[in-house]
Amino acid sequence: MRTKPLSIVLRHGALVIVCFIMLVPFYWVIKTSITNENIYAYPPRLLPEAPHLFNYVDVWYFIPFARYLLNSVIVSAIAVAGNVVFNAMAAYALTKHFVGKQSVMLLFLSCMLVPFQATIIPAYLITAKLGLLNTYLGLALPLMSTIVCIFIYKAAFEAVPQSLIDAARVDGLKERQVILRILMPLSKPAVATNVILAFIWSWNAFLWPLIITREPIMQTLPLGLARFLSYLEDTTGALYAFAVMVLAPSIFVFLMAQKEFIRGLTSGATKG
Amino acid sequence: MNTRTRSFTPWYQRKRTRDIALVACFLLPSLAIFFLYRILPLLWNLVLSFEYWSPLKPAKFAGLDQYREIFLEDDVFWQSLTNSLAFVAAAPFAIALALGIALLVNSDLKGASVYRAIVFISYPLMSVAVGIIWKWLYDERGGIINYALRSAGLVTKPIPFLQSFDYALPSVIVAEVWQVIGFYMIILLTGLQSVPPHLYEAASVDGVPRWAQFWRITLPLLRSSLFLCAVIGILNSFTSFDLIYVMTGGGPGHATELLVTHIYKTGFGQTRFDYAAALTVVQFILLLALTWLANRAAGGNAGAHDTGRA
Repeated sequence: MRTKPLSIVLRHGALVIVCFIMLVPFYWVIKTSITNENIYAYPPRLLPEAPHLFNYVDVWYFIPFARYLLNSVIVSAIAVAGNVVFNAMAAYALTKHFVGKQSVMLLFLSCMLVPFQATIIPAYLITAKLGLLNTYLGLALPLMSTIVCIFIYKAAFEAVPQSLIDAARVDGLKERQVILRILMPLSKPAVATNVILAFIWSWNAFLWPLIITREPIMQTLPLGLARFLSYLEDTTGALYAFAVMVLAPSIFVFLMAQKEFIRGLTSGATKG
Repeated sequence: MNTRTRSFTPWYQRKRTRDIALVACFLLPSLAIFFLYRILPLLWNLVLSFEYWSPLKPAKFAGLDQYREIFLEDDVFWQSLTNSLAFVAAAPFAIALALGIALLVNSDLKGASVYRAIVFISYPLMSVAVGIIWKWLYDERGGIINYALRSAGLVTKPIPFLQSFDYALPSVIVAEVWQVIGFYMIILLTGLQSVPPHLYEAASVDGVPRWAQFWRITLPLLRSSLFLCAVIGILNSFTSFDLIYVMTGGGPGHATELLVTHIYKTGFGQTRFDYAAALTVVQFILLLALTWLANRAAGGNAGAHDTGRA
């Protein structure tokens, strides 16, 4: 090896410090969530004394946690389903040659330049006109198709050999069957990327639900978290238990599918 | 008449027509969503910004009145613009830091993938929860930051980070950087891995020192990745609504107000949709201009090809 042992030690040292900084916030919030007594006691303890899970139980009583969870799951499910199906359809259409294909591509690419935050006022008015305020569909609709994910599908579909598709046609498969039986099974990584990105974007979405849901019963987890913060800020560690419970699914998905995750997010970079 | 000579099937049954119909049907759902939530809002914003309008009143042409108010009378607009630019100014430091981490992780170091995962994990998390975590870290009594500062004897009284006019903005920026730095690192790592190793070998043979290799080979080849990071940094500077909303609500005063929170407050707090639309138009143009500048700085159409690769 060319590299000297000293430099290796230094590198590990630097990275351990970086990781420490990245992990301390997690530790601190978990510690607080299982701390028994007054969380505002000074000096705070570095280790939780007599750790317990009461705060995690409290969450269910303080707020309609189950309802928020249900809403979040439904909205994410609609968004994921929309992305997997609609994006695949659009991507398949884009693998074909047709008049105006260039303009459609250009349209998609220019849509990528419009950040969602720059559309909120009219998007709210449009959703109100459609009568979708305070509905699951209204919450999920803007997230149901994403341009980045269409291009991820398109690249995967184009990698499937044309001869395979032709053979399938000769065997009498219809367009729909070609997609379902040939293209989709051969593009599993693209499907995984679509699922993961759609899940993360819809699960974490805050601004859009904040705008279009006025009724507490339709609110999703991030909104519940923000409400909890404004109502019960000074009382309990339950807020931090709530935060941990909301973060857990994303961390779980991340640890399960790290590779797809990172690839998806890097290719979805400009979505922001 | 042409149709009859060519074939006997009527036009609606011909393959070409069917193909076009198929393509149209398949594109329809996505196109409809993008039309409703990207294109139409953009145009509507533009129209609204030249009107006096509220949901209960008929529209009246306003000319440039809304824009005049933004630039001449709205102090909060200028304050939030300054704040956004402070966010933008912090991005290069964050990117440099991320580059440092990426260089450390890019080697054949044992456990590099574990380090990578730990640095990255904060990025895909819900910003609202991240805001709550950081708010707690900054807390005067229960927060670890004040506790650490006091234990180290650096301060005698706790610093109310998020309630102070001086510290609130930097504090929020630190939280934002903490969340996004892993993402910068991954992008730069992708860039580093695409640098052909034989360039370094050739340079080493020629006796080029390591720092010069970094300066002459690595950095120029990373240009598109750096540009991508810069674009994300700019975008976040204008749009990180969730963190601000949770941590400070734009306060104290308007010390941490960003354009997006200002738009939200005027639009949905004061129901001034017309004025909020004008603010959005200004924000959008600023974003495009800054992105264009970053692109120029990176030298041409950098970054364009980098987005699809991973």
